[in-house]
Amino acid sequence: MRIEAIGCEPNLIKRFALENSTRLDVVRKHGAYDMARKAVTTMSPAAVIDEVKKSALRGRGGAGFPTGMKWGFVPKDSPKEKYLVINGDESEPGTFKDRYIYERDPHLLLEGCLISCYAIGARTCYIYSRGEYKYLIDILDRAIEEARAAGFIGEKLFGTDFSCEMHTTTGAGAYICGEETALLNSLEGLRGHPRMKPPFPAVSGLYGCPTVVNNVETIAAVPWIIEHGGDAYRALGTEKSGGTKMWSVSGHVKYPGVYELPMGYDNLEKFIMEDCGGIPNGRKLKAVIPGGSSVYIMPASDIIGKKVLMDYEGLVVAGSMVGSGGMIVMDDTVDIFESTKNLTEFYKHESCGWCTPCREGTDWLVKVFKRIANGDGRIEDAQLLLDICDNIEGKSFCPLGDAAAWPIQSAIKKFPEDFKKHLVPMLQQDAIAAD
Amino acid sequence: MNSEQPLHSTQFTPNNPLPQEGLMPDSIATFEPEIIREMDMHIAKFPVKRSALIPLMFIVQRERGGYLDPPGVAFLADKLGIRITDVWEVATFYSMINTEPVGKYHIQVCRTLSCKILGAGAITEHCTKRLGIKPGGTTEDGRFSLSEVECLGSCGTAPMLQIGFDYHENLTIEKLDGILDSLP
Amino acid sequence: MSTELIKVTINGNEYQTEKGARLIDVCREHDHNVPSFCYYSDLALQASCRTCLVRIEKMPKLQTSCTVTCTDGMIVTTESDEIEKARRGMVEFLLANHPLDCPVCDRGGECELQEMVFDWGGLEERFSERKNYAPEKFLSPMIGNDPQRCILCKRCTRVCDEWMGEDAIEAGGRGAHTVIGTYGGWLNCSQCGNCIEVCPTGTLLDATYRHQARPWELEQTVSTCTFCSDGCQVSLGSRAGEVMRSVARDRYVDGINGEFLCIKGRFGHPFINDEQRLRTPLIRYRKGGKLIPATWDQAFEFAANRLKEVADKHGAESVGIVGSPRITNEANYALLKFAKELVGTPNYGATDAFSLVPFFENLSAPLATHKDIRRAQTIILIGGEPEELQPLTGKQIRQAVRNGGAKLIIVNSTPIRLNQAASQFLHINPNTEDAFVLALTDESQAASSMKTLGIEAEQFDAVRKLINDTEGTCIVMFGGELSHAAQVALTGLPAMMAGESRKFLFHPLPIYNNSVGVHDLGLMSGELSARDMVAVAGEGLHAMYVAGSFLPEHLQGQEERLAQLELLIVQELFETETTKYADVVFPAASFAEVDGTFTNNDGLVQRVRQSIAPVHQSRADWMITAGLAKTLGMDFDFQMSASAVFRELAERIPAYNGLRYPQLKDESKPVQVKHQISERRDTSNDMQTLRERVSQMKPDGEKIMTTPNVGHELFKPGTLTSKVPQIHLLAAGNPKPETVLISPLYQITIDSSLRRDEAIAAD
Repeated sequence: MRIEAIGCEPNLIKRFALENSTRLDVVRKHGAYDMARKAVTTMSPAAVIDEVKKSALRGRGGAGFPTGMKWGFVPKDSPKEKYLVINGDESEPGTFKDRYIYERDPHLLLEGCLISCYAIGARTCYIYSRGEYKYLIDILDRAIEEARAAGFIGEKLFGTDFSCEMHTTTGAGAYICGEETALLNSLEGLRGHPRMKPPFPAVSGLYGCPTVVNNVETIAAVPWIIEHGGDAYRALGTEKSGGTKMWSVSGHVKYPGVYELPMGYDNLEKFIMEDCGGIPNGRKLKAVIPGGSSVYIMPASDIIGKKVLMDYEGLVVAGSMVGSGGMIVMDDTVDIFESTKNLTEFYKHESCGWCTPCREGTDWLVKVFKRIANGDGRIEDAQLLLDICDNIEGKSFCPLGDAAAWPIQSAIKKFPEDFKKHLVPMLQQDAIAAD
Repeated sequence: MNSEQPLHSTQFTPNNPLPQEGLMPDSIATFEPEIIREMDMHIAKFPVKRSALIPLMFIVQRERGGYLDPPGVAFLADKLGIRITDVWEVATFYSMINTEPVGKYHIQVCRTLSCKILGAGAITEHCTKRLGIKPGGTTEDGRFSLSEVECLGSCGTAPMLQIGFDYHENLTIEKLDGILDSLP
Repeated sequence: MSTELIKVTINGNEYQTEKGARLIDVCREHDHNVPSFCYYSDLALQASCRTCLVRIEKMPKLQTSCTVTCTDGMIVTTESDEIEKARRGMVEFLLANHPLDCPVCDRGGECELQEMVFDWGGLEERFSERKNYAPEKFLSPMIGNDPQRCILCKRCTRVCDEWMGEDAIEAGGRGAHTVIGTYGGWLNCSQCGNCIEVCPTGTLLDATYRHQARPWELEQTVSTCTFCSDGCQVSLGSRAGEVMRSVARDRYVDGINGEFLCIKGRFGHPFINDEQRLRTPLIRYRKGGKLIPATWDQAFEFAANRLKEVADKHGAESVGIVGSPRITNEANYALLKFAKELVGTPNYGATDAFSLVPFFENLSAPLATHKDIRRAQTIILIGGEPEELQPLTGKQIRQAVRNGGAKLIIVNSTPIRLNQAASQFLHINPNTEDAFVLALTDESQAASSMKTLGIEAEQFDAVRKLINDTEGTCIVMFGGELSHAAQVALTGLPAMMAGESRKFLFHPLPIYNNSVGVHDLGLMSGELSARDMVAVAGEGLHAMYVAGSFLPEHLQGQEERLAQLELLIVQELFETETTKYADVVFPAASFAEVDGTFTNNDGLVQRVRQSIAPVHQSRADWMITAGLAKTLGMDFDFQMSASAVFRELAERIPAYNGLRYPQLKDESKPVQVKHQISERRDTSNDMQTLRERVSQMKPDGEKIMTTPNVGHELFKPGTLTSKVPQIHLLAAGNPKPETVLISPLYQITIDSSLRRDEAIAAD
């Protein structure tokens, strides 16, 4: 598994290769917490938010919401406690980037948290990780202890009045808790159902207080922005999508791993075929899911020779999305019907059951997929699947419903053959073969 | 480990308005002081006690043979000042919280796409053969449980499985055998 | 709440509405049909069923109209192809795993899902897969559960939490495997059954009515519940002279309780058709002999002759007439008339558990209705235990605190369950409620009362501050613990603490369905109380005519005294401790068999309507009294009509002046009687009595630390509720049966050891 930067200097991952990079004394030599000191001692919170706004940093969790704008929504004059919550639920299939930030450079995350807390006026930061990441939470807990002992976390930091406390906490196996309001419910010890929006968390989040929920990678980018300025960060990427992004690449590539790329990297074909070493075993590229399982699937024909730009706009133009940057590459041995079935089973398992379309829809979809897989497919099933998806999409309580519908819609559209061969009943298939 | 003390109905009164004998777990779990300290450390993180429910469920589960048994549930309700049903509704929501006994080694094979296309099926099949149980089952000696689980965030090192909280990545059948052989 | 008016356009029509109004309500108000399952007014928003989707201009997706508040200029479409497809899609999803077993489902015929499918269902079922299976089972002796039918609208869990404060039923599991249930699969709650009531499908079922009748066979009669003083409106479903069920479902009835009922109101009705009901009049021809069935004429004749004999021999005062807080105003009025006009005795009373006469005589502020409670700013609850004795009041208090932000002050010697909602709980020593009233109404005594009460002065000051800080309504509730002097003292509170922005209302918590009615009629103001009459039976009092029966607190173990009477006439539903000594017993008709009115603890006069013909030979109480009067030679001129009785009552009882049955027709607009607010009288004597009483209290006795078990009053098998077999299971601790798949009633034989003593006070 590789972790490297391509097309740019290693920014987020610059300390990953250090020996004992989780230790404070090691990373201190490489500037850890200097930017927190800089922000807290020389900048006003508004100035920090301004830099982040300038940087065009967008949420790396999947939705791509401008981070500076999100911070700006926090009411300045609210008498309530404010909270920063770090979303480390990382459960999107194909995504494993945050894991390596925890594992290789926890202090980068903590420094980002400090600066962000300072910017939004929060005194408390909760770092919520998925329950399976127990060993990573242990790393983070040790890092927090170290930082607290060294005076980077706690009361009156850097000789100012700024105080900040950090705590790790954990989920327990629920994809839906990656949705920010479901995460807040989970953090409060409730079932992980999403909450109604509005009110948005920035106004009424954790314990009804103004809360910013950000992805691990998003927050990890903040120290760099403070060091080099928002404009410099934006300049790394494109006008609308600033900076660099970590892509998790898995599936049928020679060198799966986590790659830091500048936003707007040119281009997707080059990235897969050259930077990731191409498709192993001499197979051909069949399809790519570029941004975690919830985005539209892309056939090879939409990538090869198409110069797909790797940023929020470029991938939309190409018919998909950046999402969480969890890229799953599939070669021509993969049956797209099977892969779609696999993902649909995932969504059925992870649907929280709150709203009708997602709960009943995903259940129904899986049943249809299973029936087809058992050889009882009917030719009208493709239409049925699409219609069920249509009844889920845009009508569910939270985006999980959409996420379940999109892979199916795009798979049927882009790979009709893979579906057709399952939909014609077995006997007929034999007859076709005999012809 | 599984020490218990009888439950007095009064223990529930401030928090649970429905102290009816016979329907509550008939005993409440007790824990060593250092475990209680560990729990208190989690509770101290939050302004609202209930927030520590999930971390505490993990601890109770760890200390009481891998699952939330009724005395453990009673303990959680009492400790956090919530109702038994509150523990129940949360415990049944999260897939990592077991409400039924599981084996000493809980083998969880990732079945989601990246692992699937790189051979998760073969890994599960091998486990099934070797342990003689299907996914969802537990061996008769209570040593192993086998589950197929959804994405564990280890797609770049697929196929993989988790035993308890330990990640085992880039699996091959040989490596899997080695891992299973090395378990104490 | 702002009352600013704004404009919204729905389907091209412009409407004015209040700013902040909920879109779904506005649509429905103007007859634009928007379906929904999970939306339920006054419960937390859920937005999960997704059937109320509408299109709002400038919004990207279809929006759930239940979550949208109207803004000025909003343009809404509720009908279009897109919306129709979405709604049909949702109904199709809901039906996917829903079994099509309507023919055997109790809810069939009055099922909201059926209605929804009728409007929005598809012609063909595209879901051809296997449905998820879960067996039908029982959650308690009262509540059946067919999880397959559940559409997860979660009304039940919200009702359990928000109305009852019990959180007994919750959603467990996740995704398509979400189920409504509870820890251990056995419900440990007050068994109110409101989850059944609000369930839109046949998921939660009345286990006592299960497979007994189909809704369309039932004749629905709107009436008033006969159990407690809250006076919930119920709809009695009867078939062929038998009351099959009692519900509050708002399609039949829209009363003060909405869809709320408690265990007694919902499940307590089987006494009506119980086989132990008295069938004919009975005469005991000689003392110590047996009660022998007789005809009505014989019984009237016998009773009249004997009554005349006693009156002639000992004088009219030797005759005592006892009404009942359980029977209608009409029945009590007939008895009062009998006492005053026919017999001419000053000795009349009623078998209420405690007297509120001093309170009503000095009434200084109006009675609070249940609506007022819901909107109150501060509620002071002195003694009492509404969640067990007046469950609707309990629910209103809980909602006032939860949804209305009301402050609740509880003064009680027991940490009752309602404490959970309280802002201030004064945990006082047992039997020192009077001392609290004294401390509140006489500041000079406040300091010295603290020790008696067993509380800190700061706690008391905090209560006083809460009252003084109230902006809006402050409701004072009290139970039967207060002495007469304390009741009088309490009525002085408004004069002392009311202000420009603060008004006081009272809400007494009597026990019985017509307790307030017997006070209004003056039946509680006779010379001898019911208790006194028992005490002097055989000495000064030689004949008694009792409607209903005496309570243990009246008899005080001296029921033998009743044997000293020369004549005891009783009209009753069942044989009781009192009928044991009766010389004549008339079989009375129950509330389900008569027309009439009850006055509840709000002072609302509510109609009781005849659902079935009187069982066996029983007759309405007022008819029995009028019949006996006629035999004695006096025609009461009631013309065999309850409405004529009420007309006469309304003419003679000032608080009821001007009322007629037609005004009481609509249960959604109940009428409050005009209780006279008395001029402030000199109460120094009462205050002196109170001071003396309190000064004699000793702060001894340990405080009661345990919260009483749920149902300790509700589940007590009384004369009426003991006819419900399931009540005995609950009273025996609601044991979880071996299997939940078969009705617990069939599994657990109710042997005599499980049968609890009948506690007449309990119902």
